Amino acid sequence: MKKIGYSTLSGIILINFLLVSSLFVIKSFGATEEFDATFGEAPIIDGKIDDSIDEWKTASKNSINLTDLPIDLWIMQDKSNLFISVQVDLELSAHNSTEFVGLLISNSSSENQEDFTDAKIVQFTNIQTNDFDYLDYYINNSEFLNDTNYHGEGAGKLDGKVSVYEFSIPINQPLTNGYEEDTLLEYGEIYAFNISYGKTPSYPDGIIKSEIILIEIFEPSEEEQFLIDVILLVLTIIVFSIVGILSGYYIIKIFKLKEKMERLRS
Amino acid sequence: MSKIPKVQIKDQKSKTRRRSDDKFAYRTVVISTVLSLIFFVVSLLFNTGIISIFADINLIFDIIDVLIKVIAILLFFLFMLISIGNYKETTGKPLGWKEFLLLFILSLGQTLLNFIVFIITFIGLLIVLVYLYLVQDT
Repeated sequence: MKKIGYSTLSGIILINFLLVSSLFVIKSFGATEEFDATFGEAPIIDGKIDDSIDEWKTASKNSINLTDLPIDLWIMQDKSNLFISVQVDLELSAHNSTEFVGLLISNSSSENQEDFTDAKIVQFTNIQTNDFDYLDYYINNSEFLNDTNYHGEGAGKLDGKVSVYEFSIPINQPLTNGYEEDTLLEYGEIYAFNISYGKTPSYPDGIIKSEIILIEIFEPSEEEQFLIDVILLVLTIIVFSIVGILSGYYIIKIFKLKEKMERLRS
Repeated sequence: MSKIPKVQIKDQKSKTRRRSDDKFAYRTVVISTVLSLIFFVVSLLFNTGIISIFADINLIFDIIDVLIKVIAILLFFLFMLISIGNYKETTGKPLGWKEFLLLFILSLGQTLLNFIVFIITFIGLLIVLVYLYLVQDT
């Protein structure tokens, strides 16, 4: 009987664990990956991640594949800018001296090619000497046209065998001052970003690897709400786990009670 | 004239009745536990969003979604309370306020992801408590 009790308890804990685990699986199945920009202090856009001043410390740190090229993708925001860092870890000989990383930005969460109308590119002119250009393009019918005014910032640096790219893109800018050639990123909206990698400074022909992701831009006040939501989710999981475990314990007690009753009867 | 004394017959009858009562109480414990666990699983599926077939379609579906969540928790609470109460009765102890409070908190804790469900469940649990208080023997 004791064995049955323990099996029941183990079974209930296992079922509980599987159900709770599925919370995390269901949302990520089959869809374009969505990332939330976490809030943090603005990093210096110089292609260097300075750990001594905790740069990018609070960024959402993810690993994704650009086609078959694994990269690290860090996303962060403050009140007025979205920050994205792409890190490409390759053998030194595999880095091309004119490699680039571009962010093609859709004007919504739409992933249709014609909706990607803005491009921010960090183009190395010579990766060995860390010479690069930051380019801001307007895309019209797949044709990359130079913006009249460049907005945002971008930088790149080869650090060992990792090429580090950093971008800063303005959020909630008015449609004046030449911003009409850029995608206007607004609070509370989700935008599709095509992270592109290439080896020759030709766009879009030079793009050899890419991946579309979705990024949600939060209002500064939403930061607290997001934190509260996460805490509530964790608490809910804890409550359901406790109920599951206590139910298992209770079932064992019921089995024991039956044994006791049978003993008293005989 | 019977050879068995009247007192002995009375004792046997009393014992048989007690056994029958215990059996009935145990059956109630088992059935109530099974029912409460069924409603717990329903609550887990809906309140954590594993199943969200009724959410964000229109107002009527939203109401159905909230009702399923609330009813699942209230029935879990009610059946688990009956089960624990009968279990305690079978073991000869009364249901203490600690068990009562724990069950109340764990029921309410299932609603944390939805404020409307939290409020309605809280009111529902209070009604159940008042009802149980009124129907108990004074």
